[in-house]
Amino acid sequence: MNPFCRTGDHLSRRAFLKGAAVSGGGLVLPNWGGLAHAKTAAEIASKAKKRCILLWMNGGASQIDTFDMKPGRPTGGPFRPIQSKVTGLQVCEYLPKVAAVADKLAVIRSMQTHSPDHPDGIYHMHTCYKMSERTPHPELGAVIAKYNGDLGSDLPTFVRMGSCGNAGAGYLGPAHEPFSLGRDGKLGSFSTPYLADDAEKKRADLFRFVESEFAVDHKAEPFASHRTAKERAWRLLRAKAVFDISKEWPTAKERYGDSDFGRGCLMARKLVEAGVPFVEVGQENYDSHADNFVCHKANMQLLDPAYSGLLTDLSERGLLKDTLVIWMGEVGRTPGINNRAGRDHFIRAWTTVLAGGGIVGGQVYGATDADGKDVKENPVSEGDLFATIYKALGINHRAKHLTGVRPVWLTPEGSQPVKELLG
Amino acid sequence: MPRVRRLTIATVVLAALLCGASPARAGDESLRQLIDSEVKAGWAKKSIAPAPKSADSEFLRRVYLDLVGTIPTHDETVAFLADKEPKKREQLIDKLLADPRFARQQANVWDLVLFGRNPGNIDATRKRDGFKVWLTKQFAEGVGYDKLVRELLQGEQAGSELFQVQFRNQPEEATIAISRIFLGTQLGCAKCHDHPYDKWTQRDFYGMAGFFVRIVIEEATAGNVKTYTVAEKASGEVLFSGAAKDQKPGKKGDPVKPRFLGGNDLDEPPTPKDAKEPTPKAGVKLPKPPFSRKQKLADWVTATENPFFAKAVANRVWAQFMGRGIVHPVDDFQAENKPSHPELLNALAERLTANKFDLKWLIREIVNSEAYQLAGTGSVTDTLPKHFERARVRPLTAEEIVLTLRTATSYESTGKSDDQSMSPNEYFMRAFGEPMNGMGDFQGSLSEHLFWNNAEQIRVFARRKKGNLTDQLLAATDPWEKRVERLYLTVLNRPAKPTEVAKFVEFIKSDAKPDGRVEDAVWVLLTSSEFRFNH
Amino acid sequence: MPDLTKPTQAWTLTWDADWVTSVAFIGSTRKVAAGNNLGGILVWDLPEKPGGDAPKPTLRLDGHTNCVSKLAATPDGKTLLSASYDHTVRLWDTSAVPTGEDKIVLNAMAIADAERRKNNGAKAPPAMPATVGVVKASTAFDAHKEWVVNLDLTRDGKTVISGDDGGHVIIWDRESKAIQKRWQVKGWAYALALSSDKKQACVGERFPLVFDGGRHAAIKLWDTSTGEATKDLSAEFKGMHMAAAAYSLDGKVLAVGRGGESDGASGIVTLLDPANGKKIKALTPGHISGLTDLAFHPDGKHLASAGRDTVVRIWEVASGKLVSEVGKSRGGQFKDWIHAVSWSADGAWLAAADMAGAVNVWHFSK
Repeated sequence: MNPFCRTGDHLSRRAFLKGAAVSGGGLVLPNWGGLAHAKTAAEIASKAKKRCILLWMNGGASQIDTFDMKPGRPTGGPFRPIQSKVTGLQVCEYLPKVAAVADKLAVIRSMQTHSPDHPDGIYHMHTCYKMSERTPHPELGAVIAKYNGDLGSDLPTFVRMGSCGNAGAGYLGPAHEPFSLGRDGKLGSFSTPYLADDAEKKRADLFRFVESEFAVDHKAEPFASHRTAKERAWRLLRAKAVFDISKEWPTAKERYGDSDFGRGCLMARKLVEAGVPFVEVGQENYDSHADNFVCHKANMQLLDPAYSGLLTDLSERGLLKDTLVIWMGEVGRTPGINNRAGRDHFIRAWTTVLAGGGIVGGQVYGATDADGKDVKENPVSEGDLFATIYKALGINHRAKHLTGVRPVWLTPEGSQPVKELLG
Repeated sequence: MPRVRRLTIATVVLAALLCGASPARAGDESLRQLIDSEVKAGWAKKSIAPAPKSADSEFLRRVYLDLVGTIPTHDETVAFLADKEPKKREQLIDKLLADPRFARQQANVWDLVLFGRNPGNIDATRKRDGFKVWLTKQFAEGVGYDKLVRELLQGEQAGSELFQVQFRNQPEEATIAISRIFLGTQLGCAKCHDHPYDKWTQRDFYGMAGFFVRIVIEEATAGNVKTYTVAEKASGEVLFSGAAKDQKPGKKGDPVKPRFLGGNDLDEPPTPKDAKEPTPKAGVKLPKPPFSRKQKLADWVTATENPFFAKAVANRVWAQFMGRGIVHPVDDFQAENKPSHPELLNALAERLTANKFDLKWLIREIVNSEAYQLAGTGSVTDTLPKHFERARVRPLTAEEIVLTLRTATSYESTGKSDDQSMSPNEYFMRAFGEPMNGMGDFQGSLSEHLFWNNAEQIRVFARRKKGNLTDQLLAATDPWEKRVERLYLTVLNRPAKPTEVAKFVEFIKSDAKPDGRVEDAVWVLLTSSEFRFNH
Repeated sequence: MPDLTKPTQAWTLTWDADWVTSVAFIGSTRKVAAGNNLGGILVWDLPEKPGGDAPKPTLRLDGHTNCVSKLAATPDGKTLLSASYDHTVRLWDTSAVPTGEDKIVLNAMAIADAERRKNNGAKAPPAMPATVGVVKASTAFDAHKEWVVNLDLTRDGKTVISGDDGGHVIIWDRESKAIQKRWQVKGWAYALALSSDKKQACVGERFPLVFDGGRHAAIKLWDTSTGEATKDLSAEFKGMHMAAAAYSLDGKVLAVGRGGESDGASGIVTLLDPANGKKIKALTPGHISGLTDLAFHPDGKHLASAGRDTVVRIWEVASGKLVSEVGKSRGGQFKDWIHAVSWSADGAWLAAADMAGAVNVWHFSK
């Protein structure tokens, strides 16, 4: 089933055809009309410039063991719930610090999604589209980088560390590709110049001279794009110090917890503070088909200080209202406990959590039944979640792009932002 | 009939009358002349002032890249620029078309058309050396494009089968790709509903899918190597159950008779009632079916009467050198997407057909035209000028970048010449493989430029090593001005401007030890946009 | 001494409310106590000879609110100790008079399951009712602030060692509950054993992160008077989660076993010399997917190991030979667990805590 082609939505062919750009073999198909449409929306969104941090729970965290406890039920397991700061919202006993900032959280307990495994689930929950479609959808981070990022800044607009998405920038193009950091914040490959600073600078100046000579007679668009990207890379190399948290870490680890994930969360805060519109921090690993409880208990001991620490830090610095923090994995986990003491993948009823960025905190949206086997009310699909996220960030969730001649929208048709979450 | 043609005929007739000779037929002018007259007519209609003719150095570099996928060497550059022969461009074209690297370049271009950078069933199709060998051989032997496509659709020659392995168990994907690539027609939308503004219906889509539904990709493993065979069952139908929005779970469809796109239903004998599909056995190949839909499709697609085939390839080859297709996007022929130069497109298609789909012949005509040989300079900023009023700009592919880096820096002279590194490895592919967004616009990326700036794999071309360009420049004894001129002729295939010479000499001399500076100077030219693109 | 080469299944004591996670014979009696995942404890009094209908439980000990991870009884049979995820160790007077009675159905889950699937033709099995005396009185040792995952008792029954998921290991006097020594390991404690002379403890420790650099697993020998680690055995068991440890009766052999979940027949028992920590031998085959428990036989010469493959193995310690396999693996993609095993004082009976919701009792004739 092709969800992104609806008869009434197609514009006339005439409206499409304007300019063109084609690769070597006449391979790809261009359309400036679509680009122009998107550019306007981008300008509007970039003025608001909201930022986003995605805390990615790789492997799929168990909702019944974190935010949707089922005490006393056969599916409940050995963890006990504790009361959070918000009346009526209980969380796992191993998330006490998160419980203390529950007034910032909007817990969505009624996720009902469609991709049950890891590669497809990771893709679906990063792009809100199913992986089987041959369209190269962009990840959430690339979209936010494009609409809320400033390509003129020194820092990349889409940064990630730890386990993360598998779709990349898709049809938005390499300008919005993710920039990966190591789990300890180390910069990725090819981030260390082999020349000393002054030689690097002299070489760069010679490059600019050569380019300016060439530009006298050669004015086509791609040359400028090439130059711009190179300047961007140089600016990034000069701004590398932002990624160094070694001075701040000794004090910060009290708050964030001494772990790679905690360090990643501090890095995320620093980067959004410096204007990076999207940072993704992955936590390994929640895929507990065996020994689910010891796995989650250990993971929560890292998650609790890091997640709460991040929200507290952002709040104290006045950044939380403009920074959306997303907590989610690719799937939830089964209410039933298997004979490896584990929980398997489950997509019929699970939990994601939003905070900040104008989201109305201190609420639970949606509910599951007594054993957590199904959604009782207000199901939320991938598209609905993404529509909510984009709306919070000032991005039109039905913005249209073109891949070849085919129109694609940021979210599938029928996706609705959840009003209660946005206030 | 366009004004120009009438005028030409009238002129010819007039000339003939004046000369007393019998009137020449309009079709006697060469294709290259026809191209130019059509393109010029287009300018006249829009009052466009085109770019001037390209300088020799511009043309030299451009045609080398387009025909053999790399730049000329220093000596080839100097020789061509110094040559006083008035027909030297035509002779160069002949020489390059006869060069074995032409076949390799064509194979690279068409491999990208047939597979893209992210083909289906990627575990099987990512490494496709066997396919590339087969494809290169077709171009080396001058196999007509119709025969080449027929082989791809039959998938019976060793190596060719991998094309269809992309669509294993996905007849709908095969339908979309084959219609797009060989018929220039976008059927994708018609998979789920009747096309919104074009004439194709779902019935048309599933009619075409019927040709692919019986294809079976068989797999055999010998040691670590997997081999594939494109086999075909004797039965199997596409089931069609209506528009996507009307689907309900459990709703099965009705079988759809295969139908040639825009044409008749397939005429096939009815399956005998007691016919049974042979049970697949491990290690035993499926026998050929008594009636092969696959063959019928291959026959129909490549027939000279096929209304789409010749125009689609003529348009695609045109776009390969001129940037934009006459129909643009290049694989989107439809009523509302009119060709910019309809008579030209018809002529290209007719003449290619008459020349037995000899692509080399067509390419020779195109690159010999004045239109192809326009300069890349001027005020027009379009990457792909719509009226072909300036040479188009295209980024070098990852494959071309690797080869061009090697040529520009005399990498082979250093003694390293294993064939492995002549194709882009994983890092080169990541940095240069997909520089476009979904709309075909070029975008520079951070990863590309971090790679240029800091990767050892790039530095290895610029750093001094005995025999390479940097070494030659440092070992020479003539004045630096002369050496800089040599640098420009080697890397950018053109003479350096006096300002450039002065600047580079100043740069190199700014350090008592010139080794590092020369390396950096070479690097700057390698990483410049003048080098990065074909223009 | 009983012939350990010929186990016969005496009874399956059904109790399917949840996984049966722990089991212990009480003193020199044929009373056997079992604990389950919900915190329940039942006691059965086994007949003198095997055969006939499975005996019904006589007592239920109420108090724990979460999984009973380990049971142990003093040799005089007067006190039963239970460690639990509810952060306590409870001590029960085995001669306490029940204060009430309750009717329970031992196969209630099986019946409910069949009810749910009756449209598919599932038939409910006949109910297994039992009337148990309910004991609510126990005293609690509450110095632990996390899941108490293990405990061990000295042979004289006077000293207890218990460990928790906070990494705290506590040695305490059973009668007074006074703490004699405590220390904290890196990560969480798991395998736990105290030598008969009380001087040495073996503690397995872990922090079970997955694919994260903070993952930790180790096993060490500790001096109980100083609370310092004397030998780190990690070189031999690099990164392995050790699920059980046990000292032989004469104190000359320390058995340790690798827990799960780990691939293949990896739940191997290794015999070590506690004096220097050196490896004596490894006992193979290992349990598939991991080992869960170890118990030395009262004869001082044999050792039982249990694992995630539903099989209990009996080994001759001196030679390392496999003497017998008790039970059979249930098959299927993942084998089921025997959580714990216990020997009767006369060595003729073996009780195994089965995840399927039962205590399997085996008998060895003389």
